[in-house]
Amino acid sequence: MMKNKRTGTLISIQDSLVKARFYGDVIMGETAEITVDGKKLQAEVLQITTDPKNEDAGIAEMQVFEDLTGAKIGDTVEFKQDALSVLLGPGLLTSIWDGLQNSLYPLSEQDSYLKPGLKAPALDEEKLWEFTPTAEIGDALKGGDIIGWVMEGRFEHKILVPFTIGTCILESIIDKQSLTIKEVVAVVKDEQGIRHELKLVFRQAVKSPIPFKDRSIPNKTISTGVRVIDLLAPVSYGGTVGNPGPFGAGKTVMQHSLCKYALADIIIMAACGERAGEAVEVFKDFAELSDPSTGESLMNRMCIFGNTSSMPVAAREASVFIALTVGEYYRYQGYNVILLADSTSRWAQALRERSGRQGDIPGPEAFPMDIPDQIKGMYQRAGADSATGGSLTFIGTVSPAGGNFQEPVTQATMDATGGFWGLSQDRADAKKYPAIDPLVYTTSVYDSFISWEDREKILQILNEANGIDQTISTIGLKKVPVEKYELYQKGQTIDFCVLQQDAFHELDACTRPERLQIINQTVQKLIDQPMHYSTEGMDDEEVKEMIKSKFDNLRQWWKEWNTYAQDEEQIETLAIKIDQFILQEEYAS
Amino acid sequence: MIRKEINKISEVGKALISVEGNPGVALNHVVELLHADSNQSLSFAKAINISEDSTRFQVFNGTQGLSTRTKIRIHERPLTAGFSKNMLGRSFDGIGEVKDGGPEIIYEKQLSTRLDTLNPTVRLVPKQALWTGIPMIDVFNTLVKSQKIPIFAGPTEPYNKLLSQIAQGAKADVIIFAGIGLKFDEYQYFKDELSKSGNMDKTIMFSHLAGESQIKGLMLPDVALSVSREFADNGKDVLVLLTDMTNWSNILRNVANYQDMIPSLQGYPGSLYSELAKRYEVAADIEGAGSITIIGATTLESLEDPVPDNTGYITEGQFFLENGKLKLARSLSRLKQQVNGDTRNDHRAIMTAMASLLAEAEKAYEAAEVGAANDPFSQKLLGYRKDFIEKVEEPFGKPVQLEEALDLCWDILRDHFDPAETGLSTKLIDQYWNK
Repeated sequence: MMKNKRTGTLISIQDSLVKARFYGDVIMGETAEITVDGKKLQAEVLQITTDPKNEDAGIAEMQVFEDLTGAKIGDTVEFKQDALSVLLGPGLLTSIWDGLQNSLYPLSEQDSYLKPGLKAPALDEEKLWEFTPTAEIGDALKGGDIIGWVMEGRFEHKILVPFTIGTCILESIIDKQSLTIKEVVAVVKDEQGIRHELKLVFRQAVKSPIPFKDRSIPNKTISTGVRVIDLLAPVSYGGTVGNPGPFGAGKTVMQHSLCKYALADIIIMAACGERAGEAVEVFKDFAELSDPSTGESLMNRMCIFGNTSSMPVAAREASVFIALTVGEYYRYQGYNVILLADSTSRWAQALRERSGRQGDIPGPEAFPMDIPDQIKGMYQRAGADSATGGSLTFIGTVSPAGGNFQEPVTQATMDATGGFWGLSQDRADAKKYPAIDPLVYTTSVYDSFISWEDREKILQILNEANGIDQTISTIGLKKVPVEKYELYQKGQTIDFCVLQQDAFHELDACTRPERLQIINQTVQKLIDQPMHYSTEGMDDEEVKEMIKSKFDNLRQWWKEWNTYAQDEEQIETLAIKIDQFILQEEYAS
Repeated sequence: MIRKEINKISEVGKALISVEGNPGVALNHVVELLHADSNQSLSFAKAINISEDSTRFQVFNGTQGLSTRTKIRIHERPLTAGFSKNMLGRSFDGIGEVKDGGPEIIYEKQLSTRLDTLNPTVRLVPKQALWTGIPMIDVFNTLVKSQKIPIFAGPTEPYNKLLSQIAQGAKADVIIFAGIGLKFDEYQYFKDELSKSGNMDKTIMFSHLAGESQIKGLMLPDVALSVSREFADNGKDVLVLLTDMTNWSNILRNVANYQDMIPSLQGYPGSLYSELAKRYEVAADIEGAGSITIIGATTLESLEDPVPDNTGYITEGQFFLENGKLKLARSLSRLKQQVNGDTRNDHRAIMTAMASLLAEAEKAYEAAEVGAANDPFSQKLLGYRKDFIEKVEEPFGKPVQLEEALDLCWDILRDHFDPAETGLSTKLIDQYWNK
């Protein structure tokens, strides 16, 4: 179908927001290209009004995804009809893009700097993929149906009829052969009699979700390797988590741990308005690390949207939707996908900057009034699909201003997500990492690696120990009875040896469920075992000192135990020491 | 119709002027303001909002003395920064004009000041420590080449002294000093220190003094960073000293206010985060080229203020200065893990152990204030805390090598604790406790 070229001219420019006068028709949400000094800059239509100066014309308000320096009144705008979209197909994995899916390595061959107007294809256009057809001529198909597959690394990547196509008949399909994403693999005819050429790739609008086949409640726990999460605040395949914390509380290290160790097929990282260096560390250093389930390079299961903090702010909003759509695409294919969005606060701030420029009446802290609904809508795109067996888990970091969890984005996120991992400044200051406060979290999973009763017992002792800790700080250790002090030492031990974890130690950094269960058994024994000491001739203060020194030893052994693999011989000796301490075999007589 | 000169200004406000209609000027391009009668050049200005109906400019030299009759001459280019190696040893203002009374510079080239983002794929993962001789930095929060890190400090803290001390130690090919809203004595202090240490001939100073035109202060980081980038693109390791970014943010707030932008927190524009990030993100170690390290100063009343808060999310950590000491609790180098695994085998462990003991000690200290630190271990902690503050958190002592600093840490632990109380592994205890 030929489209008529629809154009307009700029009549107002303010930072990344422009207005253009047009004749004819413009569609809300469609993309546009603005020609500035011969460079084509991408934009998106946000609002359409009639022109008060000219009744034949309309005015389209747009946000521009690139720097507008040099733009003039009268510059030409070309409207592109299509909404903001993402290219889906083989080659997504291992890719590194900017926020608009320009591939960054090819861009770097054009210039070291991301200059306005530079573009690069989203997917490799030269690479050959061996296509195996599964549909047959005459098949009745519809959007989302599978016509064949290619192998993308170790993944069987299904080739789908684009979701925008309704009921149709397959008129032709190629035999098994190798070809690029530019070539046609099949032709379908829809009910209006229109023929569509299908390729290995298609474009999908990012603000309209790819549908579920059969949406189901997320009910299978992910092994993240992070003990405090897997024990106390687990997340399921298809679940949602908000991860807020003040700066320096360890959000980045947490994201990197999840990237490295979480058991999932595919990890998508949306570096949204954050430090470039961190995204670089992921795609340069992580390429050297191996995937926990396959041993291949970690990058083989990843793709990264690097819309970092100095990149144009309008593309930040787009980057999260683009990443979500890629996640939905792989979920539809039956894979378990984790999307890490860092940070959703920067995304919300991008909306705030835009609404401020548009002159909208601001809500709390100048965020748009509807920000809670927008956040909810975003997290709702995560979920599990029982028909495909796939899932999309959405873990979003939140960067609350001043570390204050009462601010609008954190509050809206708490409301929108099933899980909440609150990072605490106090724990971070004490270098107790990961700084997830075990007493400030929520989870809504239906399954976990340890029993619910065990989990409750751990939480209870942590709570009590925390209370005693406060008593010690306010009235002093002397006033605390011996048995309370012992309870406090038990709580401290669980915190120090189990909940705290060294993300930079090759073994301590990741704990799998089998080992977690061994740890839990020891923890439960420690909680249950009443302690008896020979305390003859000692006053209470001396007894407390003795208890402390015994627990100091226990913690030292346990910390060391954490650094040995299950098959190393030292671990046995340490385990025996720990057990003897807990069961008090050395004091039994 | 495009006019090259405009004869009527419709509005002269604080730092901004407007003209009616569209004079054909492009966004972010510069115009020159000329005296109506003598044609004498008064200032340059930059187009910030343009529409069919009106165009608004930021005036670099301020709007004092302008009138509606002031003439505007259009230059069809954005603001550029002149570049020449002869700038080394010299002093400039916020838009790169010579400020030291010396001869004019003949520039080799004009640089764009747009600060385009570096393609992340040409960044190297930083792996090279910059040793400072300050134990709190070298042991606990190692500084890394290409890091962007500010000093957070109250306005009366000696942050300039610390900034200058770090600069003298770090081995850079070029030092770019970028000072915004400085008091004259601060400017002179840096000049004297850089001269005394023999670093002046590899330094370029860009400075904006308090009371000078706000727009020049606002432009200063872009000009200074563009010049820094040109050196780095040509293989030099550049150290940028950026002080004080709170002053800069306050100018940003003022100008946003003059433009009637909707404020977000405490009057700052919603774009504060993006604006700060655009500047700090210039720090980079560039594949096949040099590097830019940015050490800034951010003065604050409270850590929750929007400027330090936003900065903390952008920079790779911060050094927190309080009562003249570099405090462990709120200081952080996010890149330290890149380098502190390859030093002495006790480096990371001692860092973690001392930090958790200090956190315990802070609790004991609070308890002691209400008379609740009455047990023997609390007493040990209090003694430890005192030593730690005096010996480790002091940034202005004589420079200490890393090994010496680590030994000092063991000495302090030994003076106050039993080995098992430190949480250190028996392996390290055996190796270092009785050394």
